[in-house]
Amino acid sequence: QVAPKVPRGLHCSAATHSSDSDSSVVPRPPEPSRWPMKGLAPHQELFGQAPSGERDKASFVQAVQNFKQHSVRRRGHVDFIYLALRQMRQYGVERDLAVYNLLLDIFPKEVFRPRSIIQYIFVHYPRQQECGLAILEQMENHGVMPNKETEFLLIQIFGHKSYPMLKFLRMKLWFSRFKNINPFPVPQDLPQDPVDLAKLGLRHMEPDLSARVTIYQMPLSKDSTGAADPTQPHIVGIQSPDQQAALARHNPARPIFVEGPFSLWLRDKCVYYHILRADLLAPEEREVEEILEEWNLYYPMQLDLDYGRSGWDDYEFDIQEVEEGPVFAMCMAGAHDQATLAKWIQGLQETNPALARIPVVFRLARSTGELLAASPGLEDLPPQPPVQGQEEEEDNLQRQQQQSQS
Amino acid sequence: GGGLFLRAAATTATATARACRALAAFTASRRSLRTSPPSQGFAKELFLGTIEKKEVFPFPEVDQEELNEINQFLGPVEKFFTEEVDSQKIDREGKIPEETLEKLKSLGLFGMQVPEEYGGLGLSSTMYARLGEIIALDASITVTLAAHQSIGLKGIIITGNEEQKRKYLPKLASGEHIAAFCLTEPTSGSDAASIQTRATLSEDKKHYILTGSKMWITNGGLADIFTVFAKTQIVDSNNLVKDKITAFIVERNFGGVTNGKPEDKLGIRGSNTCEVHFENTKVPVENVLGEVGGGFKVAMNILNSGRFSMGSTVAGMLKKLIEMTAEYACTRKQFNKKLSEFGLIQEKFALMAQKAYVMESMAYLTAGLLDRPGVPDCSVEAAIVKVFSSEAAWQCVSEALQVLGGLGYMRDYPYERLLRDSRILLIFEGTNEILRMYIALTGLQHAGRILTARIKEIKRGNVNMIVETIGRRLRDSLGRTVDLGLTGKDGVVHPSLDDSANKLEENVYYFGRIVETLLLRFGKTIVEEQMVLKRVANILINLYSMTAVLSRASRSVRIGLRNHDHEVLLANIFCVEAYHQNVFALAQLDKYSPENLDEKIKKVAQQVLEKRTYICAHPLDKTS
Repeated sequence: QVAPKVPRGLHCSAATHSSDSDSSVVPRPPEPSRWPMKGLAPHQELFGQAPSGERDKASFVQAVQNFKQHSVRRRGHVDFIYLALRQMRQYGVERDLAVYNLLLDIFPKEVFRPRSIIQYIFVHYPRQQECGLAILEQMENHGVMPNKETEFLLIQIFGHKSYPMLKFLRMKLWFSRFKNINPFPVPQDLPQDPVDLAKLGLRHMEPDLSARVTIYQMPLSKDSTGAADPTQPHIVGIQSPDQQAALARHNPARPIFVEGPFSLWLRDKCVYYHILRADLLAPEEREVEEILEEWNLYYPMQLDLDYGRSGWDDYEFDIQEVEEGPVFAMCMAGAHDQATLAKWIQGLQETNPALARIPVVFRLARSTGELLAASPGLEDLPPQPPVQGQEEEEDNLQRQQQQSQS
Repeated sequence: GGGLFLRAAATTATATARACRALAAFTASRRSLRTSPPSQGFAKELFLGTIEKKEVFPFPEVDQEELNEINQFLGPVEKFFTEEVDSQKIDREGKIPEETLEKLKSLGLFGMQVPEEYGGLGLSSTMYARLGEIIALDASITVTLAAHQSIGLKGIIITGNEEQKRKYLPKLASGEHIAAFCLTEPTSGSDAASIQTRATLSEDKKHYILTGSKMWITNGGLADIFTVFAKTQIVDSNNLVKDKITAFIVERNFGGVTNGKPEDKLGIRGSNTCEVHFENTKVPVENVLGEVGGGFKVAMNILNSGRFSMGSTVAGMLKKLIEMTAEYACTRKQFNKKLSEFGLIQEKFALMAQKAYVMESMAYLTAGLLDRPGVPDCSVEAAIVKVFSSEAAWQCVSEALQVLGGLGYMRDYPYERLLRDSRILLIFEGTNEILRMYIALTGLQHAGRILTARIKEIKRGNVNMIVETIGRRLRDSLGRTVDLGLTGKDGVVHPSLDDSANKLEENVYYFGRIVETLLLRFGKTIVEEQMVLKRVANILINLYSMTAVLSRASRSVRIGLRNHDHEVLLANIFCVEAYHQNVFALAQLDKYSPENLDEKIKKVAQQVLEKRTYICAHPLDKTS
């Protein structure tokens, strides 16, 4: 890498610095830079002067310390903070509360506090307040809850009656309410291995805790590129005992369907899964679970009375429930083609012998690696109209039986 | 208008009919001899809000001759149990010594309920209960004997034919053979449909080939005769092949019978519990107990008949426990005061005495009901006795340990063993939860049949019936005194117990009302409402025990038994406590599930069970 020849800034040390391709998230400060070097943010050289060149918390903190040391009067601190905010992600400290507090600490204390009602009404030091807000905003975006130290710093810098303080109070209020709003929490750091990720995703979707995850096929190659061999992608499936029992009871005359891929978002990752399902039985075909006559040795399972609970004694909410056909299993595979999914079905046969007698129809949308507009074939939907690369393979009807024999 | 009139007329007609029936019942009760068919059972009638007082008042007595006889017999048994049985050793070694078993056999304790013509003692239920009190001094022996005769050979007595009785009962009564009851399987506890053991008829139709495994069989390792329940194929009246349960008498020497090693248990460690396996055991067709395919009924009858004895057994144990604990409380001194002078210790003794008194009363009342001529159905009463006595046992032993402090926790003393031994009482012979369902549902079925007509009228919107019901509700809510005839001039309860008797009457009356409300509200879907059923069962248990103590205390006062004033005290304490429990439970039953917490409780359980863990955040957790 060639370091661009730029004149040294005022606070530059002599150390060499490399330029960063600055992929910033935080908007640049609104006004144009007053600094002589165009194209490069001021204080850029402070970042990346760590001796090892590593980008971690220690070097980030070092950069901030350097700024404080070199600029005792904190000249240009707003620009520096904006720059630091942009750099945080690259240093992997964007979720670190201590670092945010460190950034706030750069502000000179007591200077920006409004001292009269007039000052308060006409926003006092708007540029600095905006910068403070930007710090809090970035904390909010990364879900970092401010703490006492943050509060103390904000009071010291901007005083009680200031916009950053208001923002802080709102964060304090709403963060605690929204932190655990998701009843199905996803871990902060997702596993990198696709097999582990698939396991996590399947567990995430399956409500039954007795369900067993089976790895039907491990990816063949695990080289440094991380790209799995297309000939042997991973296949991970999940099935609960109840689903297994339901599959065993399934009438072999009725086909079952492999459908997908459907998308599932886990934080910023999208994974695709397939389901094995059957159509809903018509009401008259369903087996009514009858109470056997000689069943319970100890107490009667039903009373010999011919009246039950009547309408106005039923104090349940009236909920419209849409019944769906049974889902027998789910899987996540590295490839979404029929050959891969047929392997899954073969693997399922080992634990579900009944599957050998049931015809399996593959209904796959032929688009992989991108979002699907809608999930094809939820409840007896007609085949989706072929839209941009989404082609139904409805005609591609495969008898699983023949396949399993081969 | 016309339709309404007709319906009103119909109501009056039914009312008249009911009055006639009541009159008939009244005249029947006047007869000195009970020639009328036995009634539906006392407890079931409580569901209709009535007390069949002729059933339970006066308290059943045995004649002097029988009493003398049993007292003579009790002496040596008691001597043997106090002097020769070393319960601690039995518990430590997990085995009843051979010579103890021999002595038990020679005392005839293996055939207490076997009729005399088959070499048993032929004891009545009452006498069996009396003897049970003594045997209760060692829990392991009690369980061994109960498994032998309460369930093991009971099938032969109840449903066996003459030939089977003559062949098996004498040896079983003498203890030469020990019996075991093989019903439970790894996949089947109370669910009869999931029994896997199978018996198939051989080609020559002379044998059944029995294959399968039974688990947790008491006496499984000692027994020579097994009552085994297995599935057999039956062709029913519609020419359909069905799997039904059949009971078999299986001898160990039929071959193919093996048993696992004895299980290591929490309590009753001296009793032998193990798995029993049957592998192609050839059972002759003569050994089918009852009818082929009728095993379900056989099992139910055996189980229902065996329960009443737990009341007296536990009472026997408790009386001994009170003795031992009182000895300690009256000698141990703290702060220059005996333990017995502290109010909280006194409370515990009162509790133990009260529980022992109540269960004793119930046990002997039920035994007396069972000893009436005919085939009385007292299964609900027996279940009540079992539930009450097992729970009281656990509670009282725990309180006794509390009195003893650290001493009760030490293995050198017998108390911790009593605690361990008594824990099984809540579990076996049908867990208390299951028996509560049985108690409530049997009664509700009975009441439901009788109230069907009424409830249908109300559901159809019969104005008269609704007005009548509402009117009665109004009267009830304005407070009325209930008089079911226990007290007063022709009362059966002694005046010193009047208050308690009135409380019982009030409870019974409102219980009848609530049963009607519940049937109206739930109908047959009440089967699903287990929390409602539990309350119904709890009330019934209280009502039956109140009746039992009132009946017994009244008798004691009238015939002037020793310390009858103490009995009156106990009876009054218990009745007041039970009354308040009942009032609370009745109020809860009157409410719908959102108000009586049921819905919330269910929700909590669902949330916990969905995650299969305790889901609250740790108290030290923070959101930041």
